[in-house]
Amino acid sequence: MKKFLSILGTNSDYSTNRILLQFIQKHFADQADIEIFEIKHLPAFNKPEDKTAPQEVQKLADKIREADGVIISSPEYNHSVPAILKSTLEWLSYTNQALIDKPVMLTGASYGRLGSSRAQSHLRQMLDAPELKARIMPSSEFLIGYSLQAFDDNGTLKDQQKIEELEQIFNDFIHFVDITNQLVNANETHQKQAANFSWETN
Amino acid sequence: MKLVGIVGSNAEFSYNRILLNFIAKNFKKLVDVEVLDIKDVPMFNQSDDQTNSEVIQNLNNKIMQADGVIIATPEYNHSITSALQSVLEWLSFKIHPLDEKPVMIVGASYDVQGSSRSQLHLRQILDAPGVNAIVMPGNEFLLGEVYDAFDEDENLKDAQTAQFLETCIKKFIRFINVVKVIHAPEGMQDVSDTEDLYATGAIDTTVEGIDMSADDWLEQAAEATQAVEGNTYVKLNRGLLTVNQLNHFLNSMPAELTYADSNNQFLYYNHNMEKEDMLAGRRPEQVGSPLAECHPERVFSGVSWVIQQLRTGKQDVVRTQVPTHGPDKFVVHSYQAVRDDEDNYIGINEYVQDIQPIIDWYLEQTGQQLTGGGVDAVSGATSKVDTVAGATVKS
Repeated sequence: MKKFLSILGTNSDYSTNRILLQFIQKHFADQADIEIFEIKHLPAFNKPEDKTAPQEVQKLADKIREADGVIISSPEYNHSVPAILKSTLEWLSYTNQALIDKPVMLTGASYGRLGSSRAQSHLRQMLDAPELKARIMPSSEFLIGYSLQAFDDNGTLKDQQKIEELEQIFNDFIHFVDITNQLVNANETHQKQAANFSWETN
Repeated sequence: MKLVGIVGSNAEFSYNRILLNFIAKNFKKLVDVEVLDIKDVPMFNQSDDQTNSEVIQNLNNKIMQADGVIIATPEYNHSITSALQSVLEWLSFKIHPLDEKPVMIVGASYDVQGSSRSQLHLRQILDAPGVNAIVMPGNEFLLGEVYDAFDEDENLKDAQTAQFLETCIKKFIRFINVVKVIHAPEGMQDVSDTEDLYATGAIDTTVEGIDMSADDWLEQAAEATQAVEGNTYVKLNRGLLTVNQLNHFLNSMPAELTYADSNNQFLYYNHNMEKEDMLAGRRPEQVGSPLAECHPERVFSGVSWVIQQLRTGKQDVVRTQVPTHGPDKFVVHSYQAVRDDEDNYIGINEYVQDIQPIIDWYLEQTGQQLTGGGVDAVSGATSKVDTVAGATVKS
């Protein structure tokens, strides 16, 4: 069984993205072991001179390394992702670069109709940066609009069509993880390149 | 003009801070720039509202009081920093100081990209409804390989780059002024009820008892007032002319002249052409009509606004250019307040001119040429800028 780490992209006490990740965790329990990671306790990134990751960041990095794949679920703030998620990615890229070559699947929920579409597009561009170099699953946008009304009292997605859409993407992701890991093992130079990446001299 | 410059990074050492300090120092004759740091702003959390903290309120107040904002952004992971993102989240959550505020984006980065991707993200973020800033288009100032860009006095080494930055700043000043015009409350509201455009009242000189809308208002009113005409002399300040001389004199003016009194009644124009040949067409039978009957209703608010400017003394003349006459003409409508010896507003002198021949004559006489303002949008920073993607080969 695959082992996935899901990262909740917000520090808010109430989040429909949290409900979405909990649903994914439960719904696919027989296919994957999914842990939900909260980033709200992470300190704000401030480019420390010694480049060492704070304990919380290191904990996240270790979990990412142990996982076969990562699922990030993000709301949309101002056409982009929340600062706290950005800060998390900055820590990872600046210190241990744990996301390099890691298969990543994106989901998102928003209160409005657009379902975090712009946030996901920004997130893809960020994860594609040379300092992060995650392996984002292509052509797999999963958006939940009007997220406050999308779940029933048990946290289950009400719309059966949406569930089927999610099942398809999740199945794709399981294959994508296998294919990506084959590809990555065949080509280890990425890791070397990224390890040599420097924020100051590049 | 007062601007604030926001350092888009919370790092102890930031070239974007140096860039903003350079702007503040180097262009202080043009603008007053106060550089603000964001490093003490806490991470945004909607469940822990700190909008009222001193640091956020300070940013809020400084931005509210400024005419415009310059944001200097580095690039982290193809985007802006989480620190700047967090600031923008605070400034779009419970308070909205950037709402309709003119914003200029600059950026410096270590790589050749010069923050190109983060500037694009920042534009999209500033355009979000909660932020709703008005970002100056174009004029992309990207400073790549920034570790080599400044000398020991923290001045830009490359003169072309500094020149391009100056061009951008000057354009931003103009942009701020344009935004101000767009947001002038008078331009947004319907102010048509501030003026009695139907001339329902009467002033000392109003000829009463005659239908203002009548085609022969002039003939009727002249009879009622026993107005003089022809070769009768009229004493003026300072001179003596016959009515005929006065007519020919006014008709020889190089402009279309119109007089409306303070009761908003159209009383006179120098009728020397037919309507079709005029820059702003008038018909003889319109004379005497209230201004409401000389304009379509959709412009009532604009007409009222102009009259209010003159009547209240806010302006003595309001000018507007009408671009519908083609490229060979530059037609200007000037609305000049007419005031009596005690400075009371008694009416409008509207004169309409094509000033292009005057400009051409001036240029010919002085041997000068018009230029585009010395602006070269591609010069300057381009020597350090690679706008083509793919610079990631280095990584």
